[in-house]
Amino acid sequence: MPFLSWCHWLQNTPFAAGIRQSDLLFPLIEGSHIISLSLSVGLILLFDLRLLRLAFAAEPVSRIMEQFVPLSLPGFAAMFATGLLLFIAQAEKVYQNSFFRFKLALLVLAGLNALLYQVKFYPKMAEWDKSGVVPWGARLSGALSLVIWACVIALGRTMAYEL
Amino acid sequence: MSLQQIWEWSYSSKTIDILRNAKYAIPLIQSFHLFGLTLVLGSTVVFNLRLLGLGVNRLSMPAITSQLWRLMVGGLLLSVTTGILVFLPDPARYAANTAFKTKLVILLAAILFHFTVFRKVVRADKPPRRAAMVAAVSLTLWFCVGWAGRAIAFLG
Repeated sequence: MPFLSWCHWLQNTPFAAGIRQSDLLFPLIEGSHIISLSLSVGLILLFDLRLLRLAFAAEPVSRIMEQFVPLSLPGFAAMFATGLLLFIAQAEKVYQNSFFRFKLALLVLAGLNALLYQVKFYPKMAEWDKSGVVPWGARLSGALSLVIWACVIALGRTMAYEL
Repeated sequence: MSLQQIWEWSYSSKTIDILRNAKYAIPLIQSFHLFGLTLVLGSTVVFNLRLLGLGVNRLSMPAITSQLWRLMVGGLLLSVTTGILVFLPDPARYAANTAFKTKLVILLAAILFHFTVFRKVVRADKPPRRAAMVAAVSLTLWFCVGWAGRAIAFLG
């Protein structure tokens, strides 16, 4: 399998070995990966809760989106950067980990769900936001996002037990 | 109940034994622990970015507080409860772990700060001049709880 041998090469580069073998660096990156949850998933959850009217129900959806979603982008960047470093450090094992593969699949699904919202519900948001009623599809998209991210967290935690 | 008694009870209890031996029990509980952390850190970050003037400027402080305070407390309760469930199957290991002990101290400081100084600032009619300082302390404390928590698995 060419990708597996590439992972083998990757984790044996001095950069990867340096991260893996550092008593300070590796836990620090792991911790930062988790702290990034607050700025990425934490903010997206607030938007999801608004779509479901479970938080900020008195505010228009458009305002909650504009206040929280752009703010989550640096969080997602930090999440991705630290995740990438953790992958590089243990590429061979991580690539073979089935929880990790499932997690990646769900991340793609989370992305598609966000894209669906942008394409299907965002263009007419001004209209339905004024009426105060969130379309069923948009609510479903919010609920789906909550469930997907909860599963991503669970898979991320569980994969560490299989490394 | 002394620590010694918690030890003896935890190592003899059949319920705790199930947690200890079921293959995915601990990672599952820890997943809820992290979900609680996401709620705690997520809402704390929103409060603090607002106090620092770095974002969320179009929502009023009372609106943020009325919505996020309960979410933060709910997340904290979830994290503390699941944290205890992770601790009980192996108290000896955690009691000897430097990162765990450090985390507990910082956590206590963070909770204490949150429900006194921080609470007062986010409920003030006008953010006081020291709001930015309070936000910096709050973020530092909660982020250190996260770092120390993840370090438990790596440091003896």
